[in-house]
Amino acid sequence: MAREKHNWFQRYLLSVQREVRQVVYHPRYILLLSIGVIFSYVFFLTLMDEGQPQKLPIAVVDQDGSFLSRRLCHELSATQGVEVVAVYDNHLQARDAMQRMRIFAFLEIPKGTYNEVLQFRRPTITIYSNNAYLLGGSFSYKNLATMTKLACGAVQREVLRKKGYSEKTIAGLIQPVELDTHPIANPTVNYQPYILTTILPGIIGLMVLMITIMMLHYWIKNPYERLRLCEGDLMASIWGKLLPYTVWFSIIGITGNLVLFGFCHYTLYGSFFVLSIAFVLFILSLQSMAVLLVGLLPDMHMSITIGAIYGTLSFTMSGFSYPASSMPGGMQLFGYIFPLRHYYLSYVNIALFDGTPQQIIFHITVLLLFLVASYLGIFLINRRFSYEGVWRKLIEDASSEKEEADMPLSQTSTTIEQSLL
Amino acid sequence: MSKIYEQLRDVWDVMVMELSRVFHDGGVVILFIVGTLLYPLIFAFVYKNECVRELPIAVVDDSQSVESHRFAHKLDATPEVVVEFECCNIEEARTLMQQRLINGIVYFPKDYGTKVANMETARACLFCDMSSFLYYRSVLSSASAVLLDEMQYIESDRYGRAGMTGESASQMVQPIRIDDVKLYVPNGGFTSFLVPALFVLVLQQTLFLGMCVLYGTSRQERLVRKSIPTHLRQQGLLFRVSVGRALAYFLIYFPMSIINLIVLTRLFNLPHIGNPIHVILFIIPFLLAAIFFCMTVCSFVRHRDSGIVVFIFFSVILIFISGAIWPQSNMPKFWLFFSYIFPSTFGINGFIRINSMGATLDQVKFEYIMLWVQTVLYFFTASGALHILLRFRIGRNASEIV
Repeated sequence: MAREKHNWFQRYLLSVQREVRQVVYHPRYILLLSIGVIFSYVFFLTLMDEGQPQKLPIAVVDQDGSFLSRRLCHELSATQGVEVVAVYDNHLQARDAMQRMRIFAFLEIPKGTYNEVLQFRRPTITIYSNNAYLLGGSFSYKNLATMTKLACGAVQREVLRKKGYSEKTIAGLIQPVELDTHPIANPTVNYQPYILTTILPGIIGLMVLMITIMMLHYWIKNPYERLRLCEGDLMASIWGKLLPYTVWFSIIGITGNLVLFGFCHYTLYGSFFVLSIAFVLFILSLQSMAVLLVGLLPDMHMSITIGAIYGTLSFTMSGFSYPASSMPGGMQLFGYIFPLRHYYLSYVNIALFDGTPQQIIFHITVLLLFLVASYLGIFLINRRFSYEGVWRKLIEDASSEKEEADMPLSQTSTTIEQSLL
Repeated sequence: MSKIYEQLRDVWDVMVMELSRVFHDGGVVILFIVGTLLYPLIFAFVYKNECVRELPIAVVDDSQSVESHRFAHKLDATPEVVVEFECCNIEEARTLMQQRLINGIVYFPKDYGTKVANMETARACLFCDMSSFLYYRSVLSSASAVLLDEMQYIESDRYGRAGMTGESASQMVQPIRIDDVKLYVPNGGFTSFLVPALFVLVLQQTLFLGMCVLYGTSRQERLVRKSIPTHLRQQGLLFRVSVGRALAYFLIYFPMSIINLIVLTRLFNLPHIGNPIHVILFIIPFLLAAIFFCMTVCSFVRHRDSGIVVFIFFSVILIFISGAIWPQSNMPKFWLFFSYIFPSTFGINGFIRINSMGATLDQVKFEYIMLWVQTVLYFFTASGALHILLRFRIGRNASEIV
């Protein structure tokens, strides 16, 4: 080449500059995806703003109609967790209401309960909860169980008082053991931090994966201009193309984390800086996996489809909802090829347990290992280029006239942009 | 009569054309058939174990009393947790927790045994790992079960010392017996609750992504007009095109949904107490609404792959907005009405209730009617979108000629 040679850094810089210019002039995809991210943040933050479901609709089947059953009804309604929306006469009505999704649980108080209590005949009251809707069912069950136990305790207390025991003895008799529960790092058992801290970065990751696969395929269709710009440096032309996206999505993700841990006050024992490093590495590792996918699957549609399957599965495989330790053995290993799993583990270590430096370094190293995938992908792309004669054409172009090498710059750029949009 | 015949023939022509378009595109076939079957298989396999069992926990026993030992032994005996470590102090257990070797700590203070002996309220502490909701749920349910058992044990002992024995003691320990019945999914399994919802969502999402590819390709390669039989490219006849196309997708997806929602639920032993006929009757409007919804939205996709890239994250949103995870009764009203846009909301709720909860079609009346309303509504929007698409293309072509 007639022009003076650039060093590797300048080659990267040129490639990055080129991509930034392209994105600034044609920001459609990046805008759409950014709007998607913002939409997801707003959606998830507002959808579950209660933290724990409050005032879940439940019913009482009151066949007793006594002082006791009425009082239980009122006391249930007075709790924060559930609200008695209906009082039915029989079981069938309540079950029908449950199947119509009007209630999540119901309490059945059979006829003569109060009488039997007074006669010490130990009546049975039954809690029915709907586990087909796990969250609604289990939260309303928890509230009902607590309230019925309290009712039980109230009866005991009355009887013991009448028998003349002191309040202190009564307390010891009714409640011999107490269990103080301390949910670590989430004292209010808020549903949000445990879902959002992984699912929102996961959504950003999914977008990064998909857009990287698409961009790279468009580039592979016509790689000459950028390769010429980078003087045949494949590494610089690929990573130079990807780096602006790394930066952009890292900024979005870190801002998102600021919202979660700053504005929403989710627990963060460790350092925000380390978490941000983990996030940037998470984005980089997804881009590396995208490079590998592009290298492995030359057909664009195929790799986008496979990428979509891989990306959506990462939510399941990350193990934030259903723990990986409870998956079948093979699936646990399979889970390790998803960067989201490692991001989730590093988040848990950094934010919830303030883990030791060794642990954090371990997770970050694993995320770094994903970058090896990009080498493999670039190796495969390189081989495909030699096979398709890209390099030969490049050398031929360079050896022919200098103007020819400069001229198509504007032309090819327009064709790339056309194909992009 | 001949007019009806003519209409039917037109619909048939469009359907045959659309089917050949689908089966000539490898990407669409992968999404429509391979994707629809692969996802349920993976989900059923990943979530195979239903519950979180045998979680390792640590016990820190400062009291070293008979009572605390008994408590720890009972904990170990529950299916949910295993006492893997017995630590000397809370710091040691904390380190184990930081190393992620345990998911919970039970701590007995020094006076635990003494307080039990003195007929006072003894206190134990439970620390739960909150990194996953299911860890918390398992550890807590195991600890509560043991607590209840232990309370009754100590109580009857105390009543005995207070002079009440036998039946009179049990009358005092539990004046009201509490029975609990967990309906529909007795073990409270994660799989049985989530996977049926995912099965329905997979149907809609693979249909959507496949149609994104199909519609995007025809726009990208300027084949929108060619994909419609020549004599039908006029305004009034586009309804026939919509019906014909929908019929083609329906023919592919109806058997797929029967495999997923009826056969696979039985094969993987997911809840399936519903009447299969009601499930089938419910699938029909769901599929039609989903098809016309996808036809409407996909008309705006201008490029073969951009639809997947831009819309893929919606799968995550749709499962949360459907109410299968976060209860519909606790959603902000805005999101509740927003969720009514998507057929999956009604599809998931209706299917869970018919299939897992044994509801009849009458009990899912609201969902069923809404799906038909959506079908009609999206049928018109799909036809309208097709109309706009054709006019738009004519304009574009004309300008290109100039």
